[in-house]
Amino acid sequence: MRVVTTDVAVIGGGAAGCYAALNLSKRGIKPLIICKGLVGKSGASLFAGNLVISGRALGNSEENASNTAEFLIKYHNQFLIDQNWAQRCGKWIEKVYYPELEEAGLYFRRDDAGEVVTSPGKIRSVAANVQGNSGVPFMDLRRKQIIKAGIARMEETVATSLLRNPDGSVGGVFCLNYITGEYTAVVARAVILATGYSDRLHTRSTGTREMSADGIALAWRAGATLLNMEMQWWHTNDMAHPPSWQRMQIYPNPMLGSEKSARMLNAAGEEFFNQQQDDPLAFGPYTVQLKALVKQVRAGKARYDGGYYAGFDNCNAAEVETYTTYGKTFRQLGLPFPASMAETAVSSHYRQGGIDVDTTTMRSSIPGLYAAGGVGGHSNGLIGLATYDGQVVAEGVAADIAMPKAAAVPQDQIEAECRRLDRLRSSSGEGPAPGRVKEDLRRIMWEKAGVEKNASDLRSALDDIERLRLDLPGMKIRNAGKSANYEWLDAIDVTNMIDVCELVIHSSLERKESRGPFIRQDFPFTDNDNWLAANVLKKSDNGLRFEQRPYDLPLFAPGFSRKDNLEVAW
Amino acid sequence: MTLASPGDPLGPVSPPVDGRRLGQAEQHDTLAARNSRLTPGELLTVKVRRSAVPEGEDVYQAFHVPYQKWMRVLDALNWIAENAAADLAFRWFCGSKMCGTCAVRMNGREVLACWEAVEPNMVIEPLRNLPVVRDLVVDRTRYEDKVASLEPWIERREPYTEFPEPLTHKQMKDASKALDCISCMCCYSACPVIGLGDLTDFAGPAPLVQLGQTALDPRNSPEKVRRSLELTGIFNCVSCYKCEEVCPASIPIVSRIIEPLKARTAQLAPEMARHSFALRGIVARRGRVDPGALVLRVQGLRALGKLQRILRLLVRGKINPIRTLLGIKTSAAEAAGRLLGREAEKQ
Repeated sequence: MRVVTTDVAVIGGGAAGCYAALNLSKRGIKPLIICKGLVGKSGASLFAGNLVISGRALGNSEENASNTAEFLIKYHNQFLIDQNWAQRCGKWIEKVYYPELEEAGLYFRRDDAGEVVTSPGKIRSVAANVQGNSGVPFMDLRRKQIIKAGIARMEETVATSLLRNPDGSVGGVFCLNYITGEYTAVVARAVILATGYSDRLHTRSTGTREMSADGIALAWRAGATLLNMEMQWWHTNDMAHPPSWQRMQIYPNPMLGSEKSARMLNAAGEEFFNQQQDDPLAFGPYTVQLKALVKQVRAGKARYDGGYYAGFDNCNAAEVETYTTYGKTFRQLGLPFPASMAETAVSSHYRQGGIDVDTTTMRSSIPGLYAAGGVGGHSNGLIGLATYDGQVVAEGVAADIAMPKAAAVPQDQIEAECRRLDRLRSSSGEGPAPGRVKEDLRRIMWEKAGVEKNASDLRSALDDIERLRLDLPGMKIRNAGKSANYEWLDAIDVTNMIDVCELVIHSSLERKESRGPFIRQDFPFTDNDNWLAANVLKKSDNGLRFEQRPYDLPLFAPGFSRKDNLEVAW
Repeated sequence: MTLASPGDPLGPVSPPVDGRRLGQAEQHDTLAARNSRLTPGELLTVKVRRSAVPEGEDVYQAFHVPYQKWMRVLDALNWIAENAAADLAFRWFCGSKMCGTCAVRMNGREVLACWEAVEPNMVIEPLRNLPVVRDLVVDRTRYEDKVASLEPWIERREPYTEFPEPLTHKQMKDASKALDCISCMCCYSACPVIGLGDLTDFAGPAPLVQLGQTALDPRNSPEKVRRSLELTGIFNCVSCYKCEEVCPASIPIVSRIIEPLKARTAQLAPEMARHSFALRGIVARRGRVDPGALVLRVQGLRALGKLQRILRLLVRGKINPIRTLLGIKTSAAEAAGRLLGREAEKQ
């Protein structure tokens, strides 16, 4: 066990975490990145397909700019967003984000004449090198900026608990490098959670392997307030086969350099979705798609786990492949492209909700603890939004830690955490392997807290999870070694996942309406009179309690009181 | 419209593909066949190289894994971890060819586990040229340190003015290929020169591709590029194309990255390219490779000190001092001079 002291511990190596660290470092504040995967090589940021053009950048018209904002607030967040924050963010993206990225060397795709290639339509976007793969060079650049700035990083290292000061504030992180098996206590003046949008809580999820809702679980245990945990986004057309491709999307978004986009067919071969025709304002049309699919499933023409198809058979190959990677999936299977349609299924994607933050500083409700990017509950995902949070949180932290605070090493907490982790590693019960418990949990979520929800299924899911909890003490780990012990990691993960799944279910029971991708069979209406509000979740002495907090609507408003959610465009 | 649903035959069934020849065989029809040769439920035999616990000789452990539609190597590994060996250690994050962390060797060839179709009989081993941590997990530090030492970022000669800056795709053509790199280490494992260990100072294909992202970018200052290239030992590359053959991102590593980088090195740091210039000059003048002249040119009189080696080469007919000293040309000299240019002849 070693003790490391730093100014700020940043948990997460994606868009938000990297940018926060870079900005802190620029201000002379020493950050340390703790990343469960590899910085810039894991997590949701890697999946950024393209970058939406904000404001008047790159020849955007006033109408384009307004469309982008409207899309973000309506289709992306169903009005559950701080619109003032969104406006600040849009301005920053226009003025700072693109120039700064390009100056650092990011290649915004040009044509041979030197024009930046965009997707046409009501909302425009650009790509870093290739559409469908923009996150790879984008995050690779961040990784190199981190190296260049000499910022310390601990990779393949899981944060297992937050260290607390005697006054209750957060003063560090306990973590485990699961490749070497070494424990480290990081003592810091502030901790930033930047663990991302997507967690693998359902059988089919887009979150990468390491994403097990650690950020939410750590924050909740520290007593932080959460919100909108029920608001779950879905990918509607990810590959149905093979299992490892459950996050391989047949992108429905508008394509660079083309007026067309992918289409979706039901089991009978009838087209039921084509973004550019069905709703051009829905730039990332995931909710529109989902609603279209729900209707197909209810008509017996598709299933959530397959039986419907997506592809580009309405396009020619050059149109798709000049600027995108979208053909790769088909080609790797040897399927004729673009003539073939691939069987697709639903995967749980971004969690819209998360940790409650003050959007001007990214402070959580616990002193010393901050959240940036997808793990926050203030907005739903785009890589630009997550990046902006990195800037805001750096400013917030810088202002707060100007006041000196003595860093003490909480010896008792460290010893307790060592004991807990040692015990998990030597789990020698007769029960299932931790990986198996993880899969059981994800199956419960998939079957009873999936796309369409109702009170009786959700309650039954809670019962199932309670039974699953009984398995935890009896889990069996075959290899008690320390090095690259993924069973041990699974045991740590499942402890977090199980807590967060319960919070998701409780929150789902609490929101008594349907809204966007949150679909309650027993409350099918979108109810703006009663639920245009954050579903705030607070820890209490005897468990948890909910509060409602209405949203301000300075820019856009829904314009109706109650409507069948499936008839609402967004 | 073709609907590809479970059980649909996708094309003619072909015999098993030899893993070593996949690079040559990955045409469209072959891929379709590989992805449809097996039927769901059919058992694969998967032998995985495992580290002994606590310590000792590695062992190959065999598993029988039921085929699932369009199964990837990663699905087979996941099935094994879930059903047969919970303690199997293998690294992956994304499962969709973006993070580049799941590369292994399958039947002797480097593949990305999430991307490659399974074979009825598979031997799965960790990558070469990087230390094994456990089972299939390798330590990437050696590569990461090399990349960091090359400082693969841009230093501008002119200050950046405004977005978007003037730039065309033509100028970025080679760098753009390098930007497809997911640093999966397939090429690093396949590279025979890296396999020689410390005998050379060759950076290896993966670090060179990473460097190519900025060194082949016209926005970078030549001075910065030169400093990086000096640390690459790039002329140790023998252009065997192994890296290109295994690259899951289909980057033409030799032709579009390493060769342009070599040319850039010859231009910016000519002293590194002495061997290359000498070879080129000899061929241009004499119309053939003259090993004796080449060694003399590169090593100078030091070469004469190695008598034993000289004798051995003489006996084998590898060198011919008389031809070398008289500078005898072949009939191809005229054409070679024309092709390689008069400049080369002077070298």
